Parts: sequence; structure tokens; C-alpha cells
Amino acid sequence: MKWQRKDILAIEDMSVEEIRHILHTAKVMKEILMRPIKKLPTLKGKSVVNLFYEASTRTRTSFEMAAKVLGADTTSIAVAQSSVSKGESLYDTAKTIQAMRADVVILRHPSSGSAKFLADILDPAVINAGDGQHAHPTQALLDIFTMQENLGELEGKNVVIVGDVLHSRVARSNAWCLQKMGVNVTFAGPPTLVPAEMEGLGVKITHDLDSALPGADIVMALRLQLERQKSGLFPSLREYSHLYGLTTERLKKTGKQSIVLHPGPMNRGVEISDDVANSVDALIERQVTNGVAIRMALIYLLIGGSSNVVA
Amino acid sequence: MWWLKDVWVIDPSQKISAPRDVLVKGGQVLEISSSLTEKEVLEKAQGESLETINGKGKFLFPGLIDVHTHLREPGQEDKEDILCGSRAAVRGGFTTIMAMANTQPPIDNRALIEFICRQGERAGYAHVLPIGTVTKGMLGTELVEMADMKEGGAVAFSDDGKNIQNSEVMRLALEYAKLTGFPIISHCEDKDLAGEGLMRRGVASGRMGLRGIPASAESVIVARDLILAEETGGKLHLAHISTTESVELIRKAKARGVDVTAEVNPHHLIFCDEEIGITDTALKVNPPLGSRGDREALIEGLRDGTIDMIATDHAPHTQAEKARPFAEAPFGIASLETALSAVWQYLVLPGRMSLDRVIEAWSDTPAQRFGLPGGSLKPGASADMVLFDPDFSEVIEPAKLVSKARNTPFLGKTMQGFPVMVWVEGRLVQRDRTVI
Repeated sequence: MKWQRKDILAIEDMSVEEIRHILHTAKVMKEILMRPIKKLPTLKGKSVVNLFYEASTRTRTSFEMAAKVLGADTTSIAVAQSSVSKGESLYDTAKTIQAMRADVVILRHPSSGSAKFLADILDPAVINAGDGQHAHPTQALLDIFTMQENLGELEGKNVVIVGDVLHSRVARSNAWCLQKMGVNVTFAGPPTLVPAEMEGLGVKITHDLDSALPGADIVMALRLQLERQKSGLFPSLREYSHLYGLTTERLKKTGKQSIVLHPGPMNRGVEISDDVANSVDALIERQVTNGVAIRMALIYLLIGGSSNVVA
Repeated sequence: MWWLKDVWVIDPSQKISAPRDVLVKGGQVLEISSSLTEKEVLEKAQGESLETINGKGKFLFPGLIDVHTHLREPGQEDKEDILCGSRAAVRGGFTTIMAMANTQPPIDNRALIEFICRQGERAGYAHVLPIGTVTKGMLGTELVEMADMKEGGAVAFSDDGKNIQNSEVMRLALEYAKLTGFPIISHCEDKDLAGEGLMRRGVASGRMGLRGIPASAESVIVARDLILAEETGGKLHLAHISTTESVELIRKAKARGVDVTAEVNPHHLIFCDEEIGITDTALKVNPPLGSRGDREALIEGLRDGTIDMIATDHAPHTQAEKARPFAEAPFGIASLETALSAVWQYLVLPGRMSLDRVIEAWSDTPAQRFGLPGGSLKPGASADMVLFDPDFSEVIEPAKLVSKARNTPFLGKTMQGFPVMVWVEGRLVQRDRTVI
């Protein structure tokens, strides 16, 4: 397909064809990444700016690595050391980055919609590395990529996403991405964290995890932000873990050899028991590699232009 | 002297909605009659110079009274000031505006009340009438000197934007305000339910990951205030009602005889939460836009009189403040210059609301409730009037707006139906959309 999109902001507005094209490109990128000499001249002379308003080691490093493998120069702006802490607005920062002639800007920001806000202002491409509670498209794409590697074609498969869906950009982006690929998605968690309005995403909702597990091919546990307990959203880690924690025993209810995913970092003993977490670890390493491949694919598609790595 | 010929006059205070000739002389309405001959008019002019306006195809109604405008002076003149705000008012068809008290500092004493009055007079456009706060510093604890502030020119009391959370303070306010005969204007919002919310809680907020404000954040305080008004016998006015439950609560309270009136903002009658895009800070407003069902309930409430008035809640902000990610932009829509046109285009033209009802809700009713001059074209009344051209269309552009603010969802849109002449006390202050 001919790539026409300027930015990667959310899965919601992407076509199935685009998603398949990204996954296909990522496959090629992963092969390149596995070579002993992993450096391409493709994006030589291009500059990629990481603009991170939230602490993130894994996502930022992943983008940086992806850009470097493709031969681009990268700059990271972490907010604590920049003029942002002096009160400069995102608008002004964006204009400055534009003037420095960046080709791609990777944004992570605590406000939902900030990536679209930035993309509307900037000529360079914008990749959303997580905006508030809205979207985290690269995470969803790398999750899907990993699922495909393990299960092959995903159409008709069943995925249960467990936890704090209300505050989760990962859950939102995964719900869009999975459903576009023909997957049945169920959100499970307490009513305070999985409220009725989330049905607007087209997913099934349940507050009884055990009833959702039979037939699940994949179970994804979300990280529980421990401070939510203080705002009264759930009474205790003990009760949460009792009702929604993934244990080996509980996972037997799927009746299948199900895959467990977690966007990390895990709260062992809370949303996921220690033994399940250990089995997830192997997949997490794979997700990290796949994350670089997906991000290489996106940067390449956005600014690779006429160069032809994929064909 | 002015002779408005063959114009469709809408004056709910006299139950007129018919083609009439109107004469204005010495700042007052002289006469409204079915038709006048030139000879008759010249006799009445008694040699005074006469300007004749052919009003065919246009409407003439009392200058609108807006009971809820934020003029930001003193303290936030980068957003708006009394001069620009009162010019925006007459451009939009408002000849009297009630200035909200949540300035910096808040209008919580007589000196500040008199300052607002003076600034309004200095500006010399719409009548600017100050609302005082209910509590000192809008802190929600100690009542202001209501009687003294009434002497200074206050017309109502409100801690708008910072709703009184302490129910006992609200009860005392309703009691004490009886000394003035003025209503307490309540911005109904439970702080804890609203939390850090950004838009109405619902499918749209869930989809976009924008923190939601449940409808109950408004309705539980509406219920509380109605009960307190009933118990105390105090006078209550509910600002910017936006939920179905609130409308139902008010309807029942009125049936029980509670002394309550309510207003609705044009944007709640026109937009709903599904229309908000993730970067549309122009639609970020408090109370937030509700569901389609809420919009219908509000229209029905305004039609059947449960909701008494329309008010703009003109809330000007700078462009820099609104050019931010949704969560970081302030709440509010600047609407003095577009509100009437929007109501005409979105409600009257499609037949959802009669123009007569709109004018009643925006002139006579507020005048009655708050004891204000204006709102009527009875002979002898001050000639605060609007000539409205239903065919006049205009693109809403920054260069044309006279308010300091540009935070309107209609920016760049073509709208139809505008005031083309506006008089304050018989003096022409706006002609062909230009403020004089």
C-alpha cells in the first residue's frame, strides 16, 4: 500500500490495511534488528526528537534505538531539565522544535489529546508515545505483533484485558487495534475501574473475571497504579488481588494454553502472581525487541520516503 | 427621533408579536402603533430631526438582558475588560449585562461594586450591573455585606465558579439575602463529584480518555439548593442548568411553589458531548456539554417555562490559554457576540423554539426576576432596543470580534441572523454590525 499518513496518533482512526502494513514492515525490521551489524544508512541526515513529559525509560530508549538503527540522529528532551519546567507551553516548545528542523517528534505527555494537539501545529511527523489516558498506539502494535508471533492469525481469537481500564491508554489502544483485527475483546475489573461507559469502545464488559476467562486465548493484565487506592477506587490490594489477580490456578479456567501479557512494569503479587509473572518474563523480553521493530517500522514509514528497505 | 416603519415587534412584556410602527424620542419609546402616516409622525417630532428606518422583514425587540457575563475586570484584563465586554454585548444585541463576581479580587464589598458600576458608565455601551459574591473572598465561609452592596448597586449575589460546598453557609445566604430581596445565584457543582473532570462523563469521555464529570455533580447540588430554598423561603436562581435530572428537579420544585428561577446557556441547547474532539478546547466549558438527551430536556424545559431564561455565561479567555492540550485549557466559551445568532440559527430556524419565547427568556423574564430596568418597549420605557435582521449573514472572524476573546466554537463559521441596529436609552450604539 502507499503510505500517506503524516503522524501516528491513535489506532482508532487507522484502517486495517494500515495496521497490517505496519506489522508487515515491522517483521522486516525485526530481521534487520537481529543482524550482527544492525545499522542502516536509510535515515542518515534525518533527526528524531524524543519529547518526554513523563518519566519513561523503556519507551524512550526503544524509540531512540529504533531511530539509531535506521541511521537517524536522535535528541531526547526530558522535561525536568528543559525550559518546560520554567513554564513554557507545549505550543511554544513545539515551535522551537520545528525551528530546529526535526523530522520526527516522539511525544509522551500526561494530557489526553496532546499528541494530536502537537501534530496539528507541526510540519514534522509526530508519533504518540502515550498521551494521558487516551492512546498508546505503539504499545498496542507491539502487543499485536507479539500475539501474532505466538498465535498466527488473530481473527476470531478472544482477549481479556484485566484491570484499571478507565485510566489506561494501553487498554484503549489495544481495544481498538484488536477489534480492527477481528479479535473479541473483554474488559474485566471492578465497576469503579471498568465503568459502563467503556462499552462505547465496542468491547464486552464484566466485573467477574472468572466468568470471562473460559475460551480466552490471551489475558492481558494492566499495571495497577497503587495511588488509585487512596482515591477510593478500590478498597485494598488484598481484595483486588483476590478478585482480579492472575494466578496459575485462575488461568486454568481459560481451558487453553493461554498467553499472558503485561505492558510492564509488573506489581508482582498484586495484578499478577509471582509464578505467572515468571512465565510472562520470557514474553516481555520478546515484547521489548518487538517494540524496537515496530518503532523502526513507524519511523521508516513516516520519513523513509523513497528508500526501499522493505521490498 | 426614530421612526421604525413596518417592523415585526416582539415585546413579551406587552404580549405584542406583530407588525408595528415604533417611535422613539428623547431616549424613550414614544409610541407603538399599527401604522402611522408621515404627517402624524412629523407632528409628533415637533421639529426634531427624524430618522426613518424601513423595518420590513426585520424584528424589533427589547434589548436583551444577560444575567451571566464574565467581564474579568478587575484583575484579568488580558482576557477581557468592561469596555470590550460591553462593546461585545451591544454588538450581540445585549443592552444590559450582569457582571459576574469572580474577578481578581472578587467583588465582595461595596467599593468594588461601585467600581464596576463606574467602569460600566465610563464605557457607555450596555448597562453593566454588578453581581456581588455571596461570601468574602469567595471562600465559602463568611457572608458579604449584602445590604451595603445593594446600596452600592449590586443586583444579585453569587459565588459563581466556586460553588458554596458548605450547606449551612448556603442556607444562611438564602436567609440573609432576604434583607435585599435579591436571589442567590447558584453555580451548582459538587466539588468532589466533579473532581479533576474535563468533560461530561459518558461514552465520549471514556473513548477519549478525558476525565469525566458525572451529571450528578450538578444535579445533587440543584436538589440541595432547592430544598434549602424551600425550607428558608429564600430566593434562588440556578445558573447554567445542563442536565435532565436538574430540569426535572426544578419542574417539581416549581410545582411545590419554591421561589426558584433557572437559566440555560445557548451552547447547552446546541451542542452535546459527542461533538467534542480531543483538541476542541473551544467546547471545553463548565458545566460540561451533556448528552443528546440532556440537550432535548433543556430545550423542552425552556419551552415549557421550567427554565426561565437564557444566559450566555460569556467566559472570555486568551488564545494562548485555549491553545493548550484539552486538560490544560481553561473552561469557558466567549459568546456575547454569537449567542443570539446561534440560538436563531440552531433553535428558531429549525422550529425548535419560537423567537417570541427566546426574547421573553432573554429580556422580560430576567428584568422581572432581578428587578432591572429594560426588557420592555412600553411607551415611556427607556429605548433599549434591537433591530434583528434574520437574513444578515456573517463569517465569525477574529478581526470582526470586539471582545478581547476569540474562544468561540463558531470561529470561522458562517452564521445567519444578527442584530443590525442596537439602541441604549435611545442612542444608537451599533449599526450594520459596527459598534459606534
